[in-house]
Amino acid sequence: MRRLMIVASAGLLLSACQTVQNSAGAPTTYQDPATLGAVKGVGIESQDIVSMTDQMMRDMLTEPRLANAATAPNVIIDAEYFVNESSSRINRNSITDRLRVSLQRASQGRLNFVGRHYANMVQSERNLKRQGVVDKGTTGTAAAQRGGDYRLGGRITSLDARDPRTGMMSRYTQIIFEMADLESGDIVWSGIYEFSKAGADDVIYR
Amino acid sequence: MKKFVMAAAGLAGISALAGCAQVQEPAPICSMAGISAQRQLVALPAATPFDPSPLLEMPLNSVSITDFNVINKLFVRTVSAQRTPTGTVKVISQIINCTDYPLNIEGRTQFYDQAQAPSEPVSAWKRLNLAARTSNTYSESSIGTKNVQYYMVEVRETR
Repeated sequence: MRRLMIVASAGLLLSACQTVQNSAGAPTTYQDPATLGAVKGVGIESQDIVSMTDQMMRDMLTEPRLANAATAPNVIIDAEYFVNESSSRINRNSITDRLRVSLQRASQGRLNFVGRHYANMVQSERNLKRQGVVDKGTTGTAAAQRGGDYRLGGRITSLDARDPRTGMMSRYTQIIFEMADLESGDIVWSGIYEFSKAGADDVIYR
Repeated sequence: MKKFVMAAAGLAGISALAGCAQVQEPAPICSMAGISAQRQLVALPAATPFDPSPLLEMPLNSVSITDFNVINKLFVRTVSAQRTPTGTVKVISQIINCTDYPLNIEGRTQFYDQAQAPSEPVSAWKRLNLAARTSNTYSESSIGTKNVQYYMVEVRETR
């Protein structure tokens, strides 16, 4: 009984030492996506996406066939034909989505945007309307979904090099954007964004 | 006669030394006085009559180097603007690296309307690599067309 009392007292004393570490952890902070962030490697990063899409958007608006046509051309901008052959892991939609949205907001009617990535959604609703399952809505009907005049294509490529003695790595990344005429195949506009980065930090992109 | 020969030899030596001293500086050579003269700040137009703005800034239609790290290293050779075939405005500026070292800089442009209010979002930073004692050209196009009347280019060291 006496031994049990000693063990219980020791346990109580020990538990009293286990205090709450009542301090703040490292806070998450907002960063400017247009500037190099706290975690930086040799791959494509937010400042590259912001910069390249802004440059391409502004440059497209200087091309008369796109931005000064008598009738606003129908353009399709998505990642379907925008391929990544580089060693950077990246969601291509983050580039094409930003380009499409910024271009549509900037063009103010100079270009007409076709949401081909929503084609299934649109067709499903059209079928329901024509089957009488739902009414015809308020904006009227169309004979068919709109066809595209121009569509974005492009490619991301890279060239890697590593110094095995120092662990320093460099990567040259080249991203090309092209707008193709969907009847003739002519490339009516093109743009290029490139950069080379070097570093020794072990950064993982997801 | 001996003195004369020695004097002639001395003169020849000085001439030779002077010839060696003519080291040609690699172009371009930047005058720091000229660089300072590029930074004449002006007050913004009065928001209300007789109430001048307390803010001094670079005049519109110019290049403003906003970074102490490069403010005495760069020289803005030219800055001009022209209309593109679609009516947008394209700003072109040639910037010189006055140092003996490579510099990475970046620039962005804000376009303004007739009332000197921003006519569109500021452009994204665009990088520019300048090898030692060389120049490179920064250019940016506006989004808007007729409403764009003024511009301001900001330049800083690449981060």
